Amino acid sequence: MKPRVAFFDFAGCEGDQLQVANLEERLLDLLELVEVVNFREVISQKSDDYDIAFIEGSIATDHDAERLEEVRENADVLVALGSCAAIGGINSIRNSQDPKEVEERVYGDDADKIEAWDKAKPADAVVDVDHYIYGCPIDQDEFVHVVESLVQGKEPKIPTYPVCVECKMNENVCVFSRNGGDKNVSSAKREVQVPGSQKVEKGPFCLGPVTRAGCDSKCVNEGTTCWGCRGLVDNPNQNAHKKVLDKYGLTVEEVLNKFNLYFGWQQEERKNE
Amino acid sequence: MKAIDKSDFSEFVDNLIEDDDREVVGVQKKDSKFAFDPLYESDDLRLDYDTTILPPKKYFMPQRETLIEYNIEKGETTPVNRVVPRIILGVHPYDLVAIGQMDKVFEDTHEDPYYLEKRRQSVLVGVNMENVSDKSFASTMGTATIDSGYDLMLTDIGDRYAIEVGSSKGSSLLEQAGAAVDDAKPEEIRKVKQFKEDLPEKFRSDPEFDPFELPSLLKEYYDNDEFWEENSEDCLSCGTCNLVCPTCYCFDVKDVNDISLSEGERMRTWDGCMLEEFAEVAGDENFREEKAARYRHRYMRKGRYMYNRFGDIACVGCGRCSEQCLPDIADPVDIFNQMKEGTS
Repeated sequence: MKPRVAFFDFAGCEGDQLQVANLEERLLDLLELVEVVNFREVISQKSDDYDIAFIEGSIATDHDAERLEEVRENADVLVALGSCAAIGGINSIRNSQDPKEVEERVYGDDADKIEAWDKAKPADAVVDVDHYIYGCPIDQDEFVHVVESLVQGKEPKIPTYPVCVECKMNENVCVFSRNGGDKNVSSAKREVQVPGSQKVEKGPFCLGPVTRAGCDSKCVNEGTTCWGCRGLVDNPNQNAHKKVLDKYGLTVEEVLNKFNLYFGWQQEERKNE
Repeated sequence: MKAIDKSDFSEFVDNLIEDDDREVVGVQKKDSKFAFDPLYESDDLRLDYDTTILPPKKYFMPQRETLIEYNIEKGETTPVNRVVPRIILGVHPYDLVAIGQMDKVFEDTHEDPYYLEKRRQSVLVGVNMENVSDKSFASTMGTATIDSGYDLMLTDIGDRYAIEVGSSKGSSLLEQAGAAVDDAKPEEIRKVKQFKEDLPEKFRSDPEFDPFELPSLLKEYYDNDEFWEENSEDCLSCGTCNLVCPTCYCFDVKDVNDISLSEGERMRTWDGCMLEEFAEVAGDENFREEKAARYRHRYMRKGRYMYNRFGDIACVGCGRCSEQCLPDIADPVDIFNQMKEGTS
């Protein structure tokens, strides 16, 4: 019997489920392996009888937590799909800010109707998570790999090394060396035009050295930089990375801003360890 | 020795691109750096480069390659060796030395047909270094010039390239240039000799060690945990120093199934001893869990283990690791100098 698969979304943009829907003809192949019983973006059917649950989005309210606990009880295997569910993701940018201010900024006069937690959390802050598919959005090949591994009862293989590995294999010019940047010139302050705008900012800087690989360094391949969407590697050497960013002219505050985009929750967890 | 006018050489390269069945690759500009890439016109060839991001080993041991295709339903396996015959233009002497070392590795014990067949079907056209990377210490390592290991070797002598022929593969390639090639004149041969003699001046002057000292220095430092811990403190475990090294050849093998689960490919990909999982084995045991242990291993392998096995110091002094390491902790000269100072 095919494993029954369900998708659930929490606080997130549903972009990861969209990546799955966009598998197109491969989605049909996938349906040979599994039976999808819950997938709001694709089918109207709903069922509480499933084996594998994919969770998208961060957990940010009591109601979220209750729903997630219910899913956990129903599912044999729970997979965090995408950065919001896996590491807190973009939503956790607000974790370091005053929650009241954030609510007022976003909802104005309706702010008091909001009953969100002070912090947006990844799924594993609430329930046990068996597997993680990182990325904002997820990588389709990696999703297929995870499903295929689960169907075969194998442990999915997700890289533990940083993006630099894939970037080197792709023979990209290191982001830190772009525009004639030279890592040997200390405090080299460089300014670059942000593509498509009048904005000028320092850089480019890259979070690749502490970010989990598995994306085939696609952002750097296309000429931009790594923003850290797959989260920190298991044992990131953030001190060394901060020194590198400092050498290239980033202030401590600017460094923390870079880290906060996706690493917010992970940073806090690391502090508490 | 032969020689050819530069304009004739360009025409020769364009003709190879046009007419030769083999793929012509050569060193080209890539943003602020250089890289070996397929060549579409001779104008893009930059024989005056200092160093490339990746060494040419990628042509014999690609970053990712298929070893076997299998069909689970039929129980069939088919070995696959996707060989692209190539003419590789612009290989520096230190990289040729490294390729020579790799040849020994892949021939030894179990011949590796994937590497060896790609090697056999490629022609190496070397070039003597006109510009030297700031981090290169090839002259210290004795790899700044080379007398063999190439099929052809070019030296820029002004309006012409002097060409040393290193093999019959090289001489038959040169035949395709026809009458444009003539014998080098005695003063041109003298120029090449002079060029090689003057070359060491272009290299950094800080190395304080001789390559032959490295195996014993490393042996002495093996148990100096403090030394390895201090030097590896800022290591990002990103594997850059491995991946860009012309003598690193470690790989990982994995099976990649087609979504149908009925067929798939067994692939090998580059690996590196600086990566956390490299020495992890079944049962979650990791023989080199700490970055200091991994960092030490890399140096041991370059200066001692390979020497013990093949008689080669497996660092050719290209300087790529040093140039590309972001926290700037991968300079072999720094490590070897520290050892030398500590023991003298």
